[in-house]
Amino acid sequence: MAEAPETRESLLIRLSDPSDRDAWDTFVSIYRPLVYRIARLRGVQDADAQDLAQRVLLSVSKSISDWTPRPGSRFRHWIARIAKNAAINALQRQPRDRARGGSGYAAALGSVEQQSIEQLYELEYRRQVYRRAAEIVRNRADEKTWLAFSLTMVDGLSVDQVAERLAMPPGSVYAARSRMVRRLRDQVQILQDQSENRSPRQVGDARHEA
Amino acid sequence: MKLDERDACDPDRIEAYLADAMDRDEEASMVQHLEWCVDCRARMDRVAAAEETWDSARTYLIDDDHDSVQLSGLLDSDTARDSCTWEPCSSDAQVTSVLGTLSPTDDPQMLGRLGPYEVSGVIGAGGMGVVLKGQDPALDRVVAIKILAPHLATSGAARRRFAREAKAAAAVLHPNVMPIHGVMNGGPLPYLVMPYMRGASLQKRIDDSGPLAPIEILRVGSQIASGLAAAHTLGLVHRDIKPANIMLADGLEQVAITDFGLARAVDDATMTRSGVIAGTPQYMSPEQACGEAIDARSDLFSLGSLIYAMCTGRSPFRAETSFGVLRRITDESPRPIREINSEIPAWLCHLVNRLHEKNPQTRMQSAREVEQFLNQCMAHLEQPGSCNLPATLLADEREDPGKPAKTRQGLAAIVGVILVAILLSVVPLPRGVREMGPDSAFQIEPPLEDEMEIVEEAPVSEQRSEAIQVPKSFESLWAELDEDLESLDESIPQIDLLEAELNSVVPNLNPMDRPFTPGEE
Repeated sequence: MAEAPETRESLLIRLSDPSDRDAWDTFVSIYRPLVYRIARLRGVQDADAQDLAQRVLLSVSKSISDWTPRPGSRFRHWIARIAKNAAINALQRQPRDRARGGSGYAAALGSVEQQSIEQLYELEYRRQVYRRAAEIVRNRADEKTWLAFSLTMVDGLSVDQVAERLAMPPGSVYAARSRMVRRLRDQVQILQDQSENRSPRQVGDARHEA
Repeated sequence: MKLDERDACDPDRIEAYLADAMDRDEEASMVQHLEWCVDCRARMDRVAAAEETWDSARTYLIDDDHDSVQLSGLLDSDTARDSCTWEPCSSDAQVTSVLGTLSPTDDPQMLGRLGPYEVSGVIGAGGMGVVLKGQDPALDRVVAIKILAPHLATSGAARRRFAREAKAAAAVLHPNVMPIHGVMNGGPLPYLVMPYMRGASLQKRIDDSGPLAPIEILRVGSQIASGLAAAHTLGLVHRDIKPANIMLADGLEQVAITDFGLARAVDDATMTRSGVIAGTPQYMSPEQACGEAIDARSDLFSLGSLIYAMCTGRSPFRAETSFGVLRRITDESPRPIREINSEIPAWLCHLVNRLHEKNPQTRMQSAREVEQFLNQCMAHLEQPGSCNLPATLLADEREDPGKPAKTRQGLAAIVGVILVAILLSVVPLPRGVREMGPDSAFQIEPPLEDEMEIVEEAPVSEQRSEAIQVPKSFESLWAELDEDLESLDESIPQIDLLEAELNSVVPNLNPMDRPFTPGEE
């Protein structure tokens, strides 16, 4: 994978480099929809959820200067923690009655305790990593290969249906789909490394970063 | 390798295939093998990724209403796949793709039809979309049609936002705000219809001929402030005040703010897609840059940056990256204007500084106030002998901001706005009247210094004193103005209109700025 050597670099180092905001973009591409979705699932209106997500991310970007590199402390853990705290605080400040409105799912979530928001956060984080990874895989794949994957995995069509639709033999659909899943797996790993959501203790990794 | 060997089951070859480590021929034979070998299909699935990954993919990649990016393959194969759908595309491609959505027309002179409008040409293309020139057949007028860029129109949320903001903006009726004739959200691409305005943007003017002269800066600035004041009264914040969003017509005589509220619709759409702020944030306010809640005062900071750009020919906060710009906006002061253009008077720099206060609380508080300031400065530039600058600007210059100065500024600003309203916009004055000399009946002397001091000594608490002294002094000015108007009776045929206009202005003034009536005390 092209970006494998770069994934160990900390976001901080890369952010201070004016020519490269990729790492930050990765972070934002996952956390922005993450916060937005949780807000929406809790019954917040579209525009307000957009504002909320933007506020959280920009407050995180503002606090980057607070980061001081220390042995055993890694930027990606730190920024993920800052983002999580900012997001959960912001989400909890949303008025309760609004959270109770909306669909049945959102209404059910309306009464959740803080614990549940955190669980929702973890779940949505994982979901967002997968979706972002899929987007990257899609952008780098040729169209038929991607469709063999998405039509079977996302849209639930059978391999034979997809083979007919794309005018390719079923064996090619299997091959293409497996290849996409492999790339997805690798990409998910890269994104998790870049936007780690867990605390350093959970990760059990105290290596220093140059 | 022989054909039968190639066709044999071999886990190593499966791994090589998945890792993209095969050449074309090897890949072809691998795929050929899978056509009949069910075992290897299953083996390949297992080797590709753990069961958990497959499950996660099946669960997480299904789109729902809150996803900005759709991963379904059905969307891609059922609708024509367009490069614009995935990446913001170049202007040319954007124009081509927009023109491709037009309906055919019978008129050979026209490019196509969009709703009821006959499209005759392309005016331009930018971050938000494409602007077409069209003919409104019902009203027989030329219109500009702004079409949301295809890559922004993909999400339903962005489209709804576009329509909502455009409708809100359509409610602002003011000579310095570009009117909106109509909004259409139903077709393939949402669009809005505006009057066709011959002219260029302020950005182009600055690019072409550099800094503007002080009087031009005041003229443009005051009109923008006036348009902003009208929108702010309706609770609308522009959010993207910058030279590119200011249209100039007839030189600098007519200035119109465009794209009210649309910045937000576009930002939301592009940020959802790319995770970063769209376009340049050079004219953002610190509170915008920090992602904090913003109000009308955010537009005033941006107006400060815009005036700075008119003074110097470039935007105040510049850096190589968007993040660099944001940091400068929140943390740094721009380079002093007079270091770049020494022809800008110091008081104008002070005005920009007051708009550039990082904290909205200490900034100038309303667009109306800014407009009044600019008008008074304009009167001063035109007739320095008889019209004083706003006192606070002078006080800043002397570094002696005293209470009397503040009082005088309030008064002078009101006088200034009335004066300029009379001179410029309230009634179409005969040219001769507009260009009257210093001893014209329009001249209003600033309040005398000793008059201020008398009021200052009134035996009331400090807070009260300010509330009382203003109407008192205003009363005398109002009387003066009244006399002035009466003496003009013969020279202006529309004097009744003028009076009516003035009377309609009075209720809108801050209560303490109204003409003094004893009953109120």
